[in-house]
Amino acid sequence: MEAIADTSFLVDWARFSHRDLLFRVFRVVWIPEDVLNEVQSERTLMWIADRLASGDMSLFPLLPEYRDRALRLVELSRRGPTRGLDFPEAYCIAVAEDRGYIALSENGAAYAAQFLYTTARVWRAYEVLWELRSRGLVPDDAIFTYQEETKHKFPQRDIQRWRDCRS
Amino acid sequence: MEEHLKDREREARELRRREADWNYINSLPPRLRAALVFYIETGDLYVAAKIAGLRVEEFNELRIRAGIPHVN
Repeated sequence: MEAIADTSFLVDWARFSHRDLLFRVFRVVWIPEDVLNEVQSERTLMWIADRLASGDMSLFPLLPEYRDRALRLVELSRRGPTRGLDFPEAYCIAVAEDRGYIALSENGAAYAAQFLYTTARVWRAYEVLWELRSRGLVPDDAIFTYQEETKHKFPQRDIQRWRDCRS
Repeated sequence: MEEHLKDREREARELRRREADWNYINSLPPRLRAALVFYIETGDLYVAAKIAGLRVEEFNELRIRAGIPHVN
């Protein structure tokens, strides 16, 4: 599997002590070039630079066909029942739906998009952690470690679902 | 499905409002305060960073200092 990640996913995931397990799920994680303008901490920059060097990550250019599709997705989302998409996550979704990647995003509008107007699959850290647990790569408490280390919170119903499906 | 997604947004917004350190937020300059309030209401990191005049990751550090969970 390959994925394309937006900044909202990367800045949280980069704080996670088991962040390199991401590459046990995805052969390559594509990073839109714009993402590099939005990160600034040494921790995140060093991680991305290291993973780009190893080939686990690769830069994805801004291509006109996906830019146009992303703008259409933004427009479409503004007419929908939930919060609208912004361009960066829409770009990831446009690429993902065409190339069969998984879009990695912590944006609520991106998560909602997969149920409303795109065929792309959108995963949050939650789905990545779920996949890692199902492969026996993280323990049952990984989700709580993730929440603590990143100050990210998953909805209560998702936490309950995680508890109900212990490995 | 639409109701389910709206419920998720509602739950996330309430959690952000509840856990935010409002004393800290209210002590900040207007641009940063406005950006954090926008973030609390929407959960939109990208636009909030633009309002604040910060990079997304910089804004993410600010929301952590303000005690606001990233809920999704």
